[in-house]
Amino acid sequence: MATEQSQRTGGGPRTGGGTLSGVTRWMENLSETGFAYLLLTPALLLLGTIALWPLLSTFRLSLFADSLTGGLGNFAGIQNYVAVLTGQRNALLPAPFLPSSLTVDALFGSALTVTLIFTVVSVFFETIIGFGQALVLNQDFRGRRWVRVAIIIPWAVPIVIQGMLFYLLFQPGIGLFIGREGNPTILQTLGPFSATPLANTVDATLIIIVADIWKTTAFMALLILAGLQSIDRTLYDVARVAGASKWQTFKRITFPLVLPSVLVAMLFRTIQAMRIYGVIETVAGCTTVPSLSCLVISSFNNTLVGTSATIAFITAGIIALVVSVYIFKYAREEMG
Amino acid sequence: MARVNLEGVTKRYGDVTAVDDMNLDIEHGEFITLVGPSGCGKSTTMETIAGLTKPTGGTVTIGDLDVTTLPPKDRGIAMVFQNIALFPHMDVYDNISFGLRLRNYSKEEIDRRVEDAADKVQLVGMLDRMPDEMSGGQRQRVAIARAIVREPDVFLMDEPLANLDAKLRVHMRTVLQRLHKEMDTTIIYVTHDQAEAMTMSDRIAVIDAGELQQIAPPLTCYNEPANLFVAGFIGSPSMNTLAGEVTDTGWVSQNGNIQIDFDPAELGLSPGDRPTMGVRPEDVYTSEKADTVTHPTQSLPATTDVLEPMGDEIFVYLLTDDIGAEKMALSEAEQENQLLMSVSPDSTIEEDQRVDVVLDRSKIHFFDAKSGEAIAHGIEDLAGVESASTAEAEGDD
Amino acid sequence: MAGEPESGRPDDTGELTRGPFERWVAKSIKNPERAYRAMFYVVTIFFLFTTLFPFYWLLALAVTPEDALYEVGLLPAGFDPTVFVDVFTKIPFHVYMFNSIVLAVTTTAIVLVLASLAGYVFGRLDFPGKSVLMLAILAISYFPPAAFFLPLWQLFNGNVITGLELYNTPGAMILPFSSLFMPLSIFILTTFFGQIPDGLEDAARVEGTTRLGALFRVIMPLSAPGVATAGVLTFIAVYNEFFFSYLMNNGEPSNWAPIVAGILQLQRAGQFQITYSVMAAGSIIAVLPVAILVVIAQEKIVSGLTAGALKE
Repeated sequence: MATEQSQRTGGGPRTGGGTLSGVTRWMENLSETGFAYLLLTPALLLLGTIALWPLLSTFRLSLFADSLTGGLGNFAGIQNYVAVLTGQRNALLPAPFLPSSLTVDALFGSALTVTLIFTVVSVFFETIIGFGQALVLNQDFRGRRWVRVAIIIPWAVPIVIQGMLFYLLFQPGIGLFIGREGNPTILQTLGPFSATPLANTVDATLIIIVADIWKTTAFMALLILAGLQSIDRTLYDVARVAGASKWQTFKRITFPLVLPSVLVAMLFRTIQAMRIYGVIETVAGCTTVPSLSCLVISSFNNTLVGTSATIAFITAGIIALVVSVYIFKYAREEMG
Repeated sequence: MARVNLEGVTKRYGDVTAVDDMNLDIEHGEFITLVGPSGCGKSTTMETIAGLTKPTGGTVTIGDLDVTTLPPKDRGIAMVFQNIALFPHMDVYDNISFGLRLRNYSKEEIDRRVEDAADKVQLVGMLDRMPDEMSGGQRQRVAIARAIVREPDVFLMDEPLANLDAKLRVHMRTVLQRLHKEMDTTIIYVTHDQAEAMTMSDRIAVIDAGELQQIAPPLTCYNEPANLFVAGFIGSPSMNTLAGEVTDTGWVSQNGNIQIDFDPAELGLSPGDRPTMGVRPEDVYTSEKADTVTHPTQSLPATTDVLEPMGDEIFVYLLTDDIGAEKMALSEAEQENQLLMSVSPDSTIEEDQRVDVVLDRSKIHFFDAKSGEAIAHGIEDLAGVESASTAEAEGDD
Repeated sequence: MAGEPESGRPDDTGELTRGPFERWVAKSIKNPERAYRAMFYVVTIFFLFTTLFPFYWLLALAVTPEDALYEVGLLPAGFDPTVFVDVFTKIPFHVYMFNSIVLAVTTTAIVLVLASLAGYVFGRLDFPGKSVLMLAILAISYFPPAAFFLPLWQLFNGNVITGLELYNTPGAMILPFSSLFMPLSIFILTTFFGQIPDGLEDAARVEGTTRLGALFRVIMPLSAPGVATAGVLTFIAVYNEFFFSYLMNNGEPSNWAPIVAGILQLQRAGQFQITYSVMAAGSIIAVLPVAILVVIAQEKIVSGLTAGALKE
């Protein structure tokens, strides 16, 4: 804010001198490109050191063997990747990366599959419920403001409290859904839950899915709502004049026009869901539900730096794949 | 003293040249208007004077100072914008005093100047209003007050009246002219409205395709347009321009129906040249009125097509070709040979009527068809090749 | 029935005319709006219940006295609000809260300054590399925190630059927070700044500001709603963050550990020292700042989330 000061102390028009006004003059005379990059410098510097460098550095770390001291071992090339992806490393890992068999326990107990199951199931339900919430919020009714607040509030709840909430809700004897020993609730007798669901991999995954749906559906709803509100209202008049029923209007006008927003929202949620970590840590712990991010941290804690970096980079790679699909689409739209 | 001088100012955006080698020499106290169609580079020219755009080449001088590399704030200029550009988060007082406050004038000085400026543009008592509580005309007056309060050497006005309704526009024209008279500063004014340009300026700079076409007092631009572009742009409706060919005895239109007699050698033309003839609608007369014209041409046969009564005059579209009366649309060639005439409102002329018209020889222009440059303005002094022309006219009959 | 011209909506009417709601259904057929309206209310109430009930239950659990904990159901079993005091006496919960708020405010300030400059550049200037840079910033922000963690952990523990140890300091959290959440603010501010008419910036510069002066005196004040939106979203995001909040300190309140550590300390202390009621009370207290923010600034949150996403 050098410029501001120079103006405040600068006195009348066209007075100069001093380094401040020199800097000001220099900045004013930069070309648009020079000025643009000057202003971007702080942001790019931060992103460079705290995002880009770590990303590249993670890749570098993933090329070195683990060392028992927690430091780096010898250069190993892509051996870490081979070992992680073929299951050779599973014995050392807190949880396997890929399932050894297709049993339910193996699928839920392996990092990649449990993360994918979590992502697909939660994004699916979030989309459907979020669409429903968006349709409600798109109506004009008294108290809409408060309904919207109610729907957004879970989104604003800190992850650790979301975790605590579901930890308590499914705490045997305390939580509503799980009874004490010898006194099971309906959910337990009929449904999937065991006596100690928070310590059971499959149960805990389901609970975390529910927790995620509860918290992040609002985000989905808001994006879809924005899509709904960008639809030209006159189209509905046209449909009414043409004699379309509400369902027909929804099917032929609302749905196709809002679909792009829904897909974008699903993409964002998919990317976010792939990183799931905090709720797991709070509700059940990473040993019970070993998501990809969990596995990165727990193998790091086991001094497997190279392996940890490898898993982190594979996770990043999977997300990059999803992102690039979007960027490719974006770039094509930009050109078209 | 604030002369403004542009020397070889050029502005390129990639491959597009917005302003091409612009040279302007503006005297102190002059009211000069940059006029041209939209996209002609007049606004870019003004932005280079304001310092909002750095020219690719050339120099801008204000007073004795080369300001080419100076930021806008150090150029001693004030500017009024087309979209008015009042700061919506400040009241009128803060808007007007914005520049003074940035320059740390004393509170008393600012108050005095703001009140003075508000008085000049009749905004007294409105200083605590917000811009969105004001009408378009009031807002424009605030914008002008914001400019004059700094007592700048040079005023830049970028289509300041374009967003006002027609009545207000005419009123604001007089306000601006009065201000110019009172303040003795240089005003550079950009507009695409040639009526504004004609009525307010000391000189007009007509710009097209990034190039200066003519810079001259308004009437000079009107009476002696430097080229075909200026001829067409200045004046409403536009000057008639007809393609034709030079003969031994003068000039004849493409369809042979309009003949003007003169000695081509006197204009440096020779038979076979193809200059464009131009004549303004008010310089075309029906042959009954030929007596009132000092230097009439011979009678030219025509048919009236469409009449446009404007109240104070009637525009008559004349066809110089022989075409059937039932024809709905004209071919391109027939349109080119059309002639617009302005007659007084009490005229009894009707549509689809045969009329003979004469042109005022002193108001006939010739332009080089290729370069568009003017060859001659008025041919009343040129000796007609009398006998030959009569002979040829008879021969045509 | 279904073929009747005035109803004309075979989908809705169907075979419903028989049954206990015969009259209601008959009316609904004549006036399908009624059916939609009823459905609408049912759905709305369902959504309200699912989002709000957990908070109610948390409160019910919190006020239930310790000896009645196993009787808690839909209603609290007794009433003992002293747990709300216990939260602060059993562990220094206020220090965790304070740390969280300081971290969130500081990050928000840094993000707003940097994102304003970047938003100005992307929203108002044209320069080569603009769209590539925007895409890069977008792309980087979608990598998982885990992909940044190892090198940052090494960096903050002085393994990269000796002497630079940020672990257990606010820096170790604020830096990752800032870079993680800045892209959203950049996109929000790009949208807002891009909408300010060029004339206003030109007018400010002619009147006597520099380009940067015009940004701070005209463009930012006029984009105040956008700046507020970016600020609110950044604050909430930081306050809610788990990953770096958890991993970049040892959980001690004196080491700037935020509420993540506070809540986890409550949870891990074990139910003999800390009852479930205290955990519930702590959760309620910690959620209050963001809940209030949502009520006050819901419009900004809605517009910010959607503007950011649509821009992206």
